[in-house]
Amino acid sequence: MTPLSLDQPWGRGFTVEHTHEFASDDTLPEQSFLPRGLGRSYGDVCVNDGGVLLHNFRRDRLISFDEVNGVLRCEAGASLADIAQVMLPRGWFPSVVPGTRYVTVGGAIANDIHGKNHHLAGTFGKSVLSMKVRRSDLGVQEVDENHVLRSATIAGLGLTGLIDEATFLLNRVPGPGIGQETKLFGGAGDIDDYLALDTASASWTYTVGWIDTLDRGLRGVFFRGEHCEGSDEWLTPQPAKFAMPIDAPRWALGRWSAKAFNELYFRAQSMNTAKRETIPLWQFFFPLDAVTAWNRAYGKRGFVQYQFVVPREASRETVPKILSHLRESNVASYLAVIKSFGDVASPGLMSFPMPGVTVALDVPAPNDRDRRALDRADAMVADVGGRVYPAKDARMSNVMFKRFFPQWEQLEAARDPLISSSFWRRVTAAG
Amino acid sequence: MHIVIIGATSGIAQAAVRQWASEGNSLTLFGRNASELERIAADARVRGASGVYVHAGDITSISYIEIAVAQLEKIDQALVAHGSLTKSQRVETDARYFADEININLVSAAVWTQLIANAMAKRGGGSVAVISSVAGDRGRYANHAYGAAKAGLTAFCDGLRAQMLDRKVHVVTVKPGPIDTPMTAHVAKKGALSGTSEQCARDIIKGLDKRRDVVYSPWFWWGIMRIVRAIPERIAKRLKW
Repeated sequence: MTPLSLDQPWGRGFTVEHTHEFASDDTLPEQSFLPRGLGRSYGDVCVNDGGVLLHNFRRDRLISFDEVNGVLRCEAGASLADIAQVMLPRGWFPSVVPGTRYVTVGGAIANDIHGKNHHLAGTFGKSVLSMKVRRSDLGVQEVDENHVLRSATIAGLGLTGLIDEATFLLNRVPGPGIGQETKLFGGAGDIDDYLALDTASASWTYTVGWIDTLDRGLRGVFFRGEHCEGSDEWLTPQPAKFAMPIDAPRWALGRWSAKAFNELYFRAQSMNTAKRETIPLWQFFFPLDAVTAWNRAYGKRGFVQYQFVVPREASRETVPKILSHLRESNVASYLAVIKSFGDVASPGLMSFPMPGVTVALDVPAPNDRDRRALDRADAMVADVGGRVYPAKDARMSNVMFKRFFPQWEQLEAARDPLISSSFWRRVTAAG
Repeated sequence: MHIVIIGATSGIAQAAVRQWASEGNSLTLFGRNASELERIAADARVRGASGVYVHAGDITSISYIEIAVAQLEKIDQALVAHGSLTKSQRVETDARYFADEININLVSAAVWTQLIANAMAKRGGGSVAVISSVAGDRGRYANHAYGAAKAGLTAFCDGLRAQMLDRKVHVVTVKPGPIDTPMTAHVAKKGALSGTSEQCARDIIKGLDKRRDVVYSPWFWWGIMRIVRAIPERIAKRLKW
């Protein structure tokens, strides 16, 4: 679970200068700072070049738990990994989890994370009842459902104050298993097949697709899952069996290895298709956590993750258009994730999800040509009223950011004057 | 099981408290910082401890220790974890500081251990783990005062273990090597030789359950200290380590 450097985001690729401090119970730094959890954000939302990085992951105590209603109060440095492990034996699980369990509650709120159940549950922020937020100018604020800071703090990228504590709802689950079904889709170069599967699976709690963006036919694998009982051994995750020992060399990261990887993955999945199996939920939600420092697989020069969402009405046409544009521009990408967001309104001012279709793809060490191709993809997203996910971004232009999030000035107004991030300075720059 | 922890706010003790709590034990926590102890207790309750009792006070004062142990009702296992990393340079010029540090690291720790062992013997047995240090295995340039207190504590525990053998009380001497602070532990290990609080807590719990005599943590410090102790003094005195 260890990132390689505190001065890099998870996507690596660049290093900045920080002064590191632990968050204390009472004081805040007196110069520019940025609260940080476990640093799993891919891009520069989790770094603050030239300022203080205020580490909060050590303030990870659980404070109270209401066993009847599933309401947990904890310090914001507590990780979903820890919470899930403590609560699963009692039949509770976080209502929303992202693709890694190594995320703090504070980070989950600040990026208003979503998961494979977005179509039913909405974002993590939706489960938050109240927060204790500490600011350099206003002191400690108990932010309940009516507080002005609530909508700015959820998806507020950590800018509205140090999130000290949070109270949120967990979900009742029958056990540590997931009943999973796998189906293949695509081949025709559109996402109609995927959309049909997704509609047919609307009552499933978890749905997600892997899509091969290097394949002209846009083939993919659709997964749907439901909580179920499972062996007691599944109550705790298997410790990571493998750590990426070295940075992958450059030659292993090109378009051809991506193609080969996608081919192998697709073939492996074709053998599972239409099979129903019960697997430990850790494996279903957090497959990459099984490999410590998996980000090294993308080499020293790192990678960017490109995640966009387009509104539902535009998705059928726009998603294949963007993916073929990236393919034709020779942007290498390993298997990408496709997911339909539901109608549940996001509670944050700057929340990323909107009703529609989102795609996330990894681009290893993008060169200038890749970056130009991504810039053009940004424009295609903006033209249909979609947006790109700040939590994963390290590259979008300030102009595009302001088109994606015209409400950004409201977050700027609610920002703690001492808090900033490299991301925020970059995307809010004039011009 | 009921477990008593002295110096519960220390990093190693907190990690042990979490593990004991998740196994459903009941705990009594002693420490100085009342609000910190309350937070640790709340955390332990949510994690599954069947009962958590908190006593904040001057845990290095002899009269406090006497009263505290006299009031304990049930005690299956105990961990004596409080201590202070003595600054060697300050010891050179500040005799009172030196005496206070010896009191914290040796006198108070030994008194807690003795009284807890007596209480356990009276109730039919138990196990107590005491956090000493690899620093007590040999006096070194950089931490002579701290090493002296820990050497004393180690010797005390060895003797007490022998005394208590027939009274069914077991004493575990824990000798941690350097422990990474969580900030560095989270990024990468500072040195290949340092451990983490969580690892040390696991070693302590295993040592108590299996009634080990001396537990080095991480385990390979046993080998390192064998070598360190084998270095002749005429060489060792020249090493500024």
